[in-house]
Amino acid sequence: MLLTPSILKINPAETKQKITRFIKDYVAKTKAKGVVLGMSGGIDSSNNAALTALAIGGNKTYGLLMPEKETKSQIDLTHAQQVAKQFRIKTITIDISKILVTVYTSIPNFNNSNLKAKGNLKARTRMMLIYYYANRENLIVSASSDKSETMIGYYTKYGDAAADIAPQQDLYKTQVRQLAKYIGIPGPIIRKPSTPALWPNQTAEKEIGIEYEKLDLILYGLEHFMETSKIAKQLSLPARTVELIKKRWLNSEHKRRTPLAPKLAFRTVSKDFRLPYNME
Amino acid sequence: MTKQVKLALAQISCNCSLFAYNIRKMATYITKAKKQKADLIIFPELVLTGYTIRDRIYELAETIPGPSTRKVENLAKLHNINIIYGMPEKSAKANAVIYNTAVLTTPKGTFGYYRKMYLPTHSVFEEKRYFRQGYESPTFATPIGKIGLIICYDIFFPETARLLRLKGTELIVCISASPAVRRSFFETLTAARAIENTVYVAYVNLVGVEDGLQFWGGSRLIAPNGRILSQAKYDVDNMVFGIIDYADLARTETFVPTLRDLRPELFTEMKALTEKL
Repeated sequence: MLLTPSILKINPAETKQKITRFIKDYVAKTKAKGVVLGMSGGIDSSNNAALTALAIGGNKTYGLLMPEKETKSQIDLTHAQQVAKQFRIKTITIDISKILVTVYTSIPNFNNSNLKAKGNLKARTRMMLIYYYANRENLIVSASSDKSETMIGYYTKYGDAAADIAPQQDLYKTQVRQLAKYIGIPGPIIRKPSTPALWPNQTAEKEIGIEYEKLDLILYGLEHFMETSKIAKQLSLPARTVELIKKRWLNSEHKRRTPLAPKLAFRTVSKDFRLPYNME
Repeated sequence: MTKQVKLALAQISCNCSLFAYNIRKMATYITKAKKQKADLIIFPELVLTGYTIRDRIYELAETIPGPSTRKVENLAKLHNINIIYGMPEKSAKANAVIYNTAVLTTPKGTFGYYRKMYLPTHSVFEEKRYFRQGYESPTFATPIGKIGLIICYDIFFPETARLLRLKGTELIVCISASPAVRRSFFETLTAARAIENTVYVAYVNLVGVEDGLQFWGGSRLIAPNGRILSQAKYDVDNMVFGIIDYADLARTETFVPTLRDLRPELFTEMKALTEKL
C-alpha cells in the first residue's frame, strides 16, 4: 500500500449523502426535534453544522456559540455566524466567561497555570450547556470530532466529544477538508489553522507536532495494520515520529470507551451486555 | 415445469426495536408483488428482526416451524405466492443454538430452508458469536424451478454456488445484509457467480441504517450470461421485478460451457491445500 495523498481522497457527494442520511435517520428514529452542537467557527464544527442542516434543515439545527474571554476570537465568531447564516442554522450565543470564573473561584487552590486542567473545564462547560439545550428542547447532541483527533485522543474526555452521535468521526481531517469544500464551507474556514481554543494561541498542528497531511497518512497506515517502520520509510519521517503517534493512539483508548469495570457477574455493562440501539 | 417465472426483489429496511412491524411491512410488499403477478417475492437476510440485533437474538430467534414462519405461510397461501426471507432460527433441540437462515415458503407451506454456511466474524460482523454454521446446501425442486439459497458472505466462496449448480439449481437466491462499503464486492461477485455457473442469480440486500451501518440495497436479478435483468435503487426501500426464462440456461450453457469444462481433479487438490492452509 502506497501512502500518498491520493489514498485519502473521498467521493464527497457519496460521503455527504451517507452522513446526511445517518443524521436524518437517527433524528427520525429517536423522535427528537433536532440536533444541537457547539460551533467554534473552525472547520470541524462548521462542517458538522452544515451537514446537519442539509440533513434535517437549518430550522432544526441549533448551533451554540460559546466564546470565553481568554481565547475569544472575533474571526472565529464571524466564521461561525457566517456558516449559520449560509445554512440557515439557529444560533444561541453564550459567553461562558462568567461561568468559568465562578468555577475557577469555587475550586480550592485552583491552579491557573495548569493549562490542560483549566482548558478541559472550558470544553466540559460547553458540553454541559449543549446538553442543557438538548434536554430542554428534546435535541440530539452531535459531536464534531474527526477521525484524526479521535484516533490520537486529541480532545477532552467528556468534553467536546461527549455526544449522542459523531457524524464525521470516520473522516480524517484532510477528508473533512475535502467534504467541507464540496458542501460550500467558506475557504478561509477550511484554510485557517485548527485549534481547540482551550488556551490562547493554541493550534492543533503545533501541539500535535506534525501537520495533518502527514498525520492522516500515518493514521491511515496504522488503521490498515502497517508497521511503523514501513510507514516512516514511505513518508520519509523518523521512525520515532510514527512510533509516538502510534503510542498516542494506543494510549488514548480509554477516552474512546465507556469506563473500565471489573467483570463480576453474568453479563457486564460495556463488556458482554451487547445490545443494539433501541429506538422504540 | 414452469419455464418463465416472475420475481419480485423486495429490499426493505427493518425496525430493530418494533419487530412486529417487519412482518407487517413484508405483508404490504407481498400484496404489491401479487398485484404485479409475481410468482416469487424475495426479502433480505434476517428481515424478520433486522441485522444488528446483537444479544436480543436470544429472545427473538424462533424455531421452524414457529409463530413467524406460520404467519408467512398464511401470507403465501392467502396471496398464492412463493416467499423467500431471512430469520434467526432457533434449534428445536437447544436454546442457544441459532442459525442465520433463509426460508423458502410456497402457497402450500414452508418448503425448505438453508442455514448460512459462512458466518462473517471480522470488521463490523460478529456472526460466529451468535450463530452456528449450516452444513447443508440443498436445492429445492419447486413448481417455479430448482432453487438454491445462499446468504450474503456465502457468495465470497464460489464453491457454495458451484455446489448448488452441480445439484441442478437453476436459480440461486442470495439474500443479504451488506453495508455500503462493500457494494463493489457484491456487484462483482453476484455477476461472477451467475456467469461462472451459467445460472440465474437473484440478489436481495437490506436497506436502512442500523447501528451506524448503512445497508445499500441495489438488489439485482442477473441472467446466466451476466446481463442485469433488474436493478433496484441504492439505499432506499424499493421493489423491482424481473422475469426469468429457464430455457435460456441451455442456450447460455452452450455458449459458455463452464459446467462441461469443469476439472474435478483440481477440487481434490484444493481440498488438500485448504486443509493445510
